[in-house]
Amino acid sequence: MTMQTDAIVIAKTAQRARTMGLASVLLLGAIGVVLLARWIDAHPQTPVIATAQEDLYVKPGTAKSLTLAFNGLAADWYWMRSLQYVGRKVLRYQDSNPGQLSLKDLSDLDLRILPPLLRLSTTLDPQFIAPYEFGAMILPTFNNEEAIALLTYGIEQNPKTWRLYQHLGYVYWQSGNYQKSADLYSAGGRLPGAPSWMSEMGARMTLEAGSREAARQMYQHLYQESSDEFVKQMLLRRMLQVDSFEQREIIRRALKEYSTRNGKCPTSWKDIAGTLLPHLRLEPNTGAPLDPAGTAYVLVKGGCEVDVDPRSQVPYR
Amino acid sequence: MNQTVSDTPNSNNADVRPVRGSNSTVSRIGTIARNAFREAVRDRVLYNLVLFVLLLTAGAIFLGELSGGQEAKIIVDLGLSSILLFGVFIAIFVGVGLVHKEIERRTIYAILSKPIGRGEFLLGKYLGLCLTLLVNVLVMGTGVSLALLYVKRGWDPLVIRIWPAILLIYLELAILTAVALLFSSFSSPALSALLTFFVFIAGHFSADLKTFAASLGGTAARWFFTGLYYLLPNFANYSQITPAAHGYAPGATTLLVALLYATLYAGVVLAAGTLVFNQRNFK
Repeated sequence: MTMQTDAIVIAKTAQRARTMGLASVLLLGAIGVVLLARWIDAHPQTPVIATAQEDLYVKPGTAKSLTLAFNGLAADWYWMRSLQYVGRKVLRYQDSNPGQLSLKDLSDLDLRILPPLLRLSTTLDPQFIAPYEFGAMILPTFNNEEAIALLTYGIEQNPKTWRLYQHLGYVYWQSGNYQKSADLYSAGGRLPGAPSWMSEMGARMTLEAGSREAARQMYQHLYQESSDEFVKQMLLRRMLQVDSFEQREIIRRALKEYSTRNGKCPTSWKDIAGTLLPHLRLEPNTGAPLDPAGTAYVLVKGGCEVDVDPRSQVPYR
Repeated sequence: MNQTVSDTPNSNNADVRPVRGSNSTVSRIGTIARNAFREAVRDRVLYNLVLFVLLLTAGAIFLGELSGGQEAKIIVDLGLSSILLFGVFIAIFVGVGLVHKEIERRTIYAILSKPIGRGEFLLGKYLGLCLTLLVNVLVMGTGVSLALLYVKRGWDPLVIRIWPAILLIYLELAILTAVALLFSSFSSPALSALLTFFVFIAGHFSADLKTFAASLGGTAARWFFTGLYYLLPNFANYSQITPAAHGYAPGATTLLVALLYATLYAGVVLAAGTLVFNQRNFK
């Protein structure tokens, strides 16, 4: 009887010891995990932009076959990945280059997998218009051929979608091929449901393709049609840039008049404030003209030339 | 004496007792279907799936904010894809267990000792799971429509236009359920699930089979792949999720033909299942 009681006590003690041991391992393990996580957070890995990380392994055709009935969802995934990819690159660039990013040339961002990402998204869902629109805005800044290929594929797949003609027309207009741009605007304008301004733009492209008014209208229409905030911001800045070009022409005329009359360039904005006042908004204290974003222009080259303040929302380059 | 399977909520199919005036085949099938439905609904996994998809739809609303103005499209894609995916899981995993459970619990002896044909038993089980899937699909589809109303802050034509695509998803699931029942009538649940899943995958490639067959030089190979094409269900005809996300709805003729094809295909598969099931010896 006593032996049995002893055995039970020993078994219970052993059981308690095992439980305590396990609890200790659990507690110590949890503490270890927290400490390790804290150490990892404190020592972030150096961000290496490895080429290998930036490759896409799936070809568009293969992806379409593999996704079965879920091709639309896969297209959405690649679309969101495209947005995140560009956004991440822009943020990284702005962190390391505090100056403004050029809207005319995004090659500094090294967006090498953006074209295949957009191709994947549109192959998986050829009726998905947003990637074409995004591609029309971003791709021409570093790879015009990819932009044309993407939009041409889009028109092949959606021949009745006038917006794609508008976007391809814009791509050709940017590359200076005004005749092709005019043809596309006119072709898009003939499609059912296309707004009347498409045909008007087609005619305008033929007559005054390189004019600022044509550019402004093109940006305005693209802005109105776009649903992407990034694209809208880009177009807004383009419109500010067009307005700024016109303002700077007025300022240059005033600077030239002043230097012709006085034989020297102005030393401050107050010297030409009277000439500028009827045409531009001026800063009350300095008399400096304000750009369309509300930032004062700066005098450069000893007061003989005007430029945009690098801190302004108006694209600097 | 007229006898049929009991339809009391807490009984399984083994509880068989006389039911007044229910001597017709339709009545017997209906009773088995009701019981199969109740059994599936009592299954907690089924509830969890519904809840999970509703949560997924809610998640889509937040995901939509990352989409650059494409919230509605992404919600439709995500919602309808979830309906299909979870429906496929239910059709396969519940479908292959319908017959097997009865055999394992030995309740099949009690059922088949009554004046119930094996074909009636299979058809009842099939209709019961179809009813479960219908409820499931309707709840999920309503969830997607509500999510669209939320995202669009009001009425949007997509709320209605997604429903033909949902109907096609349901028909695809109905075919798949029949296939699952066919396999489960002669093989183990694991193998049945595997084979049914294979049919689901192959069914989405069946159009490629036809193209492949046409490109072959040998007559025998061409006949083989053409035969395979007609043997497998062509699920590509039921994949309207992506067009639905753009607001395109299939026409009435498409829907009618799809319904007819699904009914015929499921009928043939169930007939084959009954043939196999009839040969099975439970002793």
